[in-house]
Amino acid sequence: MTTAPAAILTLMVLSAVGLFPAVAAVGLRWVTVPLLPLGGAVVAALAAAGFVAVGGTFMIWFAGLAVAGAVSVAGHWSARPEARPWRGRGRPVGARYRATGVIGALAVAATGGWCLRSLSAPAVGFDARAIWLMRGGWFLQPHHQLLFDMRAPSLVLYQSAYPPLVSASTAVAWSIAGNHSFRLGVVVVALLNACALAAAAFALVECGRTAAVRLAYPREQRIDPGPADGEPGDVLPLAPLVAGVVAAVLLVPVASGITGPFMTNGYADPIWSLAAVGAVAFGLQLQAGRFQRGATALLLVVAGMSKEEGTAIAIALIALVAVRAVATMAPGDRRRNLWRPVALAGLEVGAVALWPVVMRVIRARGATSTFAPAGVWSGRVRPTYDALVPYLHVVVLAVPLAIVGAVFLSRVRRAAGTANDGWGWAGLSVGLAGVGAVLVTDSGAIGPLLAGSVHRLSEFPALVGWWIVAVWAVVASGSVAAGRRRRNRRSRTAPAVTEGVTATGVRHDLTTTA
Amino acid sequence: MAGAVVAVVALCGLGVQSFRGDRTVGAQLAGPVVRNAEVDNAYYHCLDVQTRSLVAPGQTVSFTGTDPYSVITLLQAVGSWITVADPPSGATARLSLLYGQGHGCLGTVVVAYYAAAHGGPVVRVGSGDEVAGNGPPPPSPL
Repeated sequence: MTTAPAAILTLMVLSAVGLFPAVAAVGLRWVTVPLLPLGGAVVAALAAAGFVAVGGTFMIWFAGLAVAGAVSVAGHWSARPEARPWRGRGRPVGARYRATGVIGALAVAATGGWCLRSLSAPAVGFDARAIWLMRGGWFLQPHHQLLFDMRAPSLVLYQSAYPPLVSASTAVAWSIAGNHSFRLGVVVVALLNACALAAAAFALVECGRTAAVRLAYPREQRIDPGPADGEPGDVLPLAPLVAGVVAAVLLVPVASGITGPFMTNGYADPIWSLAAVGAVAFGLQLQAGRFQRGATALLLVVAGMSKEEGTAIAIALIALVAVRAVATMAPGDRRRNLWRPVALAGLEVGAVALWPVVMRVIRARGATSTFAPAGVWSGRVRPTYDALVPYLHVVVLAVPLAIVGAVFLSRVRRAAGTANDGWGWAGLSVGLAGVGAVLVTDSGAIGPLLAGSVHRLSEFPALVGWWIVAVWAVVASGSVAAGRRRRNRRSRTAPAVTEGVTATGVRHDLTTTA
Repeated sequence: MAGAVVAVVALCGLGVQSFRGDRTVGAQLAGPVVRNAEVDNAYYHCLDVQTRSLVAPGQTVSFTGTDPYSVITLLQAVGSWITVADPPSGATARLSLLYGQGHGCLGTVVVAYYAAAHGGPVVRVGSGDEVAGNGPPPPSPL
C-alpha cells in the first residue's frame, strides 16, 4: 500500500479506536474530531507499555485495549443514560453559535492542511530514524527480542527508553498497512501533530463562543435553549465569536512556524508541546466544565506519553489543573467533591507514569537519568538563558498585554468566563522551569546540548505565550458587549419613574424599583 | 478603549507571527532543503539495500567491535527490521561500516563478517545500491 492511503487507513484505525474514549471524555463536539486519532494513539502507547511489561504481541494488546475501552464506555452509557453524549444538555443554540463552530472547524482544518504542505518534502529527521520511527519496528518483534533491544548496551541509544506514543503509532501504521517505510511513519506523526494543533487552536473558538454566550445572557438563561419566540443565538455579540475564529486560524501558522521542520520530519517534540499547550488552553485558560476537563485529560496523557520532557511537564500541569479545579470550587462543593479532581489527576499520572515505571522494572538502557554534578549547575544557567531568549520573544508582547488586561479588562475576563490569566502564566512558568531544569542539570556538555536541543525544547513555552496573547484578543473583543451588559444591569436596578393614569384620569408618578 | 487597543495589538501580533510562521513552513520546500532530504533518504536506503544483500530478516546480527557512530548509523538504516543477537556471540554476522571507499553509499559500504569453520571470518561487502558522492549525508535539523 502506498503512503497516502496507508496514512489515511492508519488515521481511520486510530480514530475508530479512540472513538469511545474521546466521545466519553469530550462529548459530541467539533473538537472531538481531532481528539479521536489522539485517543487512538494513547491506546497504542498503553498497548506498547503492556506488551513490554507482560508479553504477547503489540497488535493484540492494541486490539484488546481498544475493545476493552469501547466495552467500558458502552457499559457506562448503558448504566447511566444521562451520561450519553447525544442526549444534549441544552447547550446554547442559535445561528451565530452554530455557525461559529462550523466556520471555526473548517477554517482551522483548512489552515492546518495548508501548513502541512511541507510534508511534500521527504525529510526524515535524525532522531526520527534513530529512535521514534525505528522503535516502531521493535514493537512488532517478538517480546524477548524487544526486551533485548531495549536493554543491550551494545545498541548504545539510551533514548530507546523514551515514552512510546510516536513509536507505537508508527507500529500501528506499519502493521495494518504492510508498508514499513519511514515516509509513512513521518506522515502519520505529522497528521497526529496537526490533530493536536487543531484541538489546541479550537480552544480559541470555544473561548469566543463561551464569552459571547456569557456576555449576552444572564446566568439562568445560559443553559436554556432560549425563549420560544425567537432564536436566542441571534443576540450573541459578534466580536468575540469572530475574534475566537480569527485567533484560532492565526495560531495554526504561528505554531507551525515555532515547531519548524520538526512538525513534518518525524520528531516527537511537536506532539508533546502541542498537546501540552492544548491542555493549558482547555484546563487553565477556558471556563471550567465537563468537556474542557475531558479534553485536558486526553491532551495531558498524549503529552506525557510522547517524550520525557513531556512526561515531566505533563505531571506538573496535571497538578496545576487539579489545584485550579479545587481552588475554583465553592466551599460546600469542595467538601463533597474534592475527590473528583484528585481522582482524575491520579488516573492521568498513572497513565503517564506507566511507561517510565515499566522501563525501570525491565532495566532498560537509559531508564535512569544521569545528571551533571550540582556544583556545575550555576555555570550552565546563563548559557541556557541566553540560548532560550531568542525563542521566547513572545513574552515581550504577552507581558504588557497581560498587565493592561489585568488593570482594565479583568471584569470583562471574568464576565466572559475565561480563567484568571495567572493560570496560563503558571502553565508557561512550569514549561520554562521544566525546560530550564533539563538543560541545566543534564550531564551532556552545555554547548552541544543547547545547539542540538534548545529549539525543540523551547516550543512549549513559546506556544503558551502565543496562546496567552490569543486569549486576551478574544477577551478584549468582548469589552463592548461587557460594557453594554453592565449598563443594562444598572438600568434594571435604577429607580424607574413612569407616569400612570388611574381610573379617575389623574396622573401619578409611579416610582418602582426592579 | 482599552479593550479595543488590546484586541488590535494582540491580533496584529498574531498576524505578524503567523506570516513569519507561514514563511518558515514555506522554507522547508526550498530547493536545497528538499535536495538534502532526498540525498539523506537515498543514503539510508542504500545502506538498507546493502544490508539486505548480506542478511535476511530473522537472521541474527551483532555490532560487537563496531564504533558507536557506525552502530547508530546502522540502527537508523536497518534497526527497525534486523534481529540483534542475544548473546552477541550467537550472531550469524557482525555488521560494520567502511567509510571513504569511493563507491557505495556516499563512499560508505556495509560489511558483514561471518564466522568460518576454519581460519578467519568470511567477509562480504554489501551490494545492490549506490549513491554517488562522498559522505556523510547532509546534516538534518536538530
